[in-house]
Amino acid sequence: MAGNSEEKARRGVSRRGFLVGTGTGAAAAAAVGSGLVGLRAAEARTLPQAAPEQGRATVRLRVNGVPQTVEVEHRHTLLEVLRDRLGLTGTKLGCDRSECGACTVIMNGETVYSCSQLAVFADGAAVTTVEGLAQGDDLSPVQAAFAELDAGQCNYCIPGQIMAATALLQQNPAPTLDEVRRGMSGNLCRCANYNHIQAAVLEASRRLRGEAS
Amino acid sequence: MSQDLEVVGKPTPRIDAVERVTGRAKYTWDVQLPGMLYARVLRSPHPHARIVRIDTSKAEALPGVRGVITHENARARWSSGDSLHERLIFNNPVRYAGEPVAAVAAVDRHTAEDALDLIEVEYEPLPFVLEARDALADDAPRLWDDGNVAGGRPLVYERGDLAAGFAEADAIVEASYKSAYHNNAQMEPRASVAMWEGRNLTVWTTTQGVSNARRDIAKDLNLPQSNVRAICLYAGGGFGNKNQAHDFDLMAAFLAKQTGRPVKLEYTRHDDFIGVHGRWSTEVEYRMGARADGTLTAVEMKAISNMGAYMKSTGTVASFERYACPNARSEITRVFTNRISSANLRSPAYPQGYFAMEQTVDQLAHELDINPLEMRLKNATRLYQDKTPYTSNALEQAIREGAALFGWEERWRPPSADVGPLKRGVGMALGGYPAPLGLGSAIVRVNTDGSVQVLVGVVDIGTGAKTTMGMIAAEALGVPWDAIDVVNGDTTTTPFSIGESSSRTTVMTGWAVKTAAEDARQQLFQLAAPLLDAAPDELAARAGVIYVADDPDRSVPLARVAARAPEAIIGNATTNPELKDMARESLAAHFAEVEVDTRTGLVRVLRYVAAHDSGQIINPLTAESQVQGGVHMGIGQALFEELGWDRRTGRPIKLGFHYAEILTHLESPPVQVHFVDSVDPYGPFGAKVVGEPGNRAVPGAIANAIFNATGVRVYELPMSPDRVLAALRGETA
Repeated sequence: MAGNSEEKARRGVSRRGFLVGTGTGAAAAAAVGSGLVGLRAAEARTLPQAAPEQGRATVRLRVNGVPQTVEVEHRHTLLEVLRDRLGLTGTKLGCDRSECGACTVIMNGETVYSCSQLAVFADGAAVTTVEGLAQGDDLSPVQAAFAELDAGQCNYCIPGQIMAATALLQQNPAPTLDEVRRGMSGNLCRCANYNHIQAAVLEASRRLRGEAS
Repeated sequence: MSQDLEVVGKPTPRIDAVERVTGRAKYTWDVQLPGMLYARVLRSPHPHARIVRIDTSKAEALPGVRGVITHENARARWSSGDSLHERLIFNNPVRYAGEPVAAVAAVDRHTAEDALDLIEVEYEPLPFVLEARDALADDAPRLWDDGNVAGGRPLVYERGDLAAGFAEADAIVEASYKSAYHNNAQMEPRASVAMWEGRNLTVWTTTQGVSNARRDIAKDLNLPQSNVRAICLYAGGGFGNKNQAHDFDLMAAFLAKQTGRPVKLEYTRHDDFIGVHGRWSTEVEYRMGARADGTLTAVEMKAISNMGAYMKSTGTVASFERYACPNARSEITRVFTNRISSANLRSPAYPQGYFAMEQTVDQLAHELDINPLEMRLKNATRLYQDKTPYTSNALEQAIREGAALFGWEERWRPPSADVGPLKRGVGMALGGYPAPLGLGSAIVRVNTDGSVQVLVGVVDIGTGAKTTMGMIAAEALGVPWDAIDVVNGDTTTTPFSIGESSSRTTVMTGWAVKTAAEDARQQLFQLAAPLLDAAPDELAARAGVIYVADDPDRSVPLARVAARAPEAIIGNATTNPELKDMARESLAAHFAEVEVDTRTGLVRVLRYVAAHDSGQIINPLTAESQVQGGVHMGIGQALFEELGWDRRTGRPIKLGFHYAEILTHLESPPVQVHFVDSVDPYGPFGAKVVGEPGNRAVPGAIANAIFNATGVRVYELPMSPDRVLAALRGETA
């Protein structure tokens, strides 16, 4: 007879349980040690003190410039808050374990995998999602280049790719193709439209720098 | 060959590009309904076991849990899960590690996950078998009463006289190849949202075909089709999984019925890898003969496909379709094992088959001292199966133009020409995909303000079909592109579509769209004729203007004509064209340059040219995306992707994107796509197919480039560093 622990092991490591169980400092260290990325913001944070009840917390954050207050369980991720609580479903879940980048958002100026950020780590943070890039009907230069050059096919990964490209171009306004490849390598595209994505990032870079295309 | 076209053939951004880059596009995972529950699935840890007892009482007692289903209280056939046997949504015995055993619906997904841990299952483990060859043994564990070979015998095709063909040969090559199971790994994990309203069931699902999904759900739940609505407005990829109903559609429907609430059943990425399907692994043996001048005289292929536990697809292995050879025989044995059921992954039967075929042809060229390019030109198919004429065949053009773009003549050198540890080489392979005609339906509605809605059942899984359908309608109707809107992916609002699989949409639904648009145009011509003082059949339409064909100055805006109709003009078509004694195929020639690090076994693809005869390209922008993506996916299959099984436990290992080594930005070389000038007389505006030809030649082209670089052949997919090193050391993996 299969025990429950065996069942749990079969469904894969639950990083959320792991993070909550071991405390943030240990989790961040362990995560770095195991080669996981996207947890840097976690290192600087501790759980909020005034949790309303055991295992729950109140998280205050700004999402696309709008202040939000959300009651969460400790095990809820930032991705779940964005999608399920705030209705911002542009940010996608692809793997729920920091492998694909579909959930990439910009938190305090850096890209993070929102599937692997506990919501409580985002307390006090400023978060930008794909919904926060366009000004009304005007697409951001990255969005416009992605649309015009057909960067996405199924487009499920594209919100994450767009957030990664936006942050990349903030840090490096004139990347080479090789730098685009490296900068975007945390974002998978199974339609494998990488040539067009890379072309779109380079095109957005030119437009942001005022070069005519 | 080029046609005078206004919209078709122009690079056109997707009609829904803005929705897709702003995050407004609603995928199945994004559907949220009031009161919706979340569901999770418990899976068997055993590859073969009888369920003796299953106790869900503790799970049901967990606060927040609203429903639990198992084989005891939710019995339904999942008819599209197996074409030969009765496969249920919950089976007892279970036949692979990962087979669903129970599903739980709860107020949130964490509670549902917690509840899975509280379900007690007592299994009686049964003997299991993982490898197809082992499953063929007389004393192998049996999965099914009628044996482990699908249909009881191999599929055999033959023509000519094989023995005579080999007797004629000046050189004969024999070789054996293997290919691994690998996952579709589409970015959106599979999911379904089911909602009952009285007798009516609505299912939002990650399908590639809503029409087929509705048909299957209705059949399996014993409902009239009119009570079932299937919706998929945006799909996060598919690559073959799947153009029917899924087991989780049925589970979600059961749970929604049981709880009286809408239920969203989400497969985790882990579920997706162990519980959906991937491409069948194969073992292929080739024997091939040619005369001294390279002319093929005989080819024989014997293949074994590992189908896993259920017959979810055909299990065939593509072989010598791209070559002329009078004497040929193939034999394919499809075998059941205690693995996840294998099924369709982009070009299901092809890349692994052409990996074997193309290396064998290449080796024969090598032994006869013939340039691989000459070998292909000499033997490229001219009649389908040496018998049936093609509707169009620009394969030779694709080979020559692709070779010129690649610089084959300058780049090709004899094998292993580089000294030093880094060796570069070039290789080529042929590809293609059937482009049959068939059933399609469409409605084209011209509103009284001249705006146009195209209603098609198409699900756009990323191919751009929504856009190409609109472009075909614009061209046929004679309106500008921006007049078009496309409504798709919902069985209640749109007509039948074959579904986005097997690269059929452009041709099949596209033909119906063209016909429906022509029907609407004819009705507009009836209204316009008195205005232009001409007969309806003297009129033409282009870019939103209706005019007299012989006297274009006599014209009227199409919108003004539409305004004269009492209400919207409806063009309607269900088409099912047939070919008589003709074959329609998209054809391709691929060229790769690789660098092999002989110290590490790592292979880098440096450059790639894909030359395709896909007929008239409807949208060159999205077609280029598809071929580039297909090539990259093929590189992943060629070099990296493999799901493994632990022999002791029978469980799959290397699960998830990371361990499957899905290609990233870093390993994606520039792919130059070239569509040869070709117009097929039978497709809409001369189109053939684009979606699946992209990946099929890739493993073969790369394998041949590795041989050209190193002088060594790698006989197993993926050609991972360990296998490349083993081959360089003279070991067979």
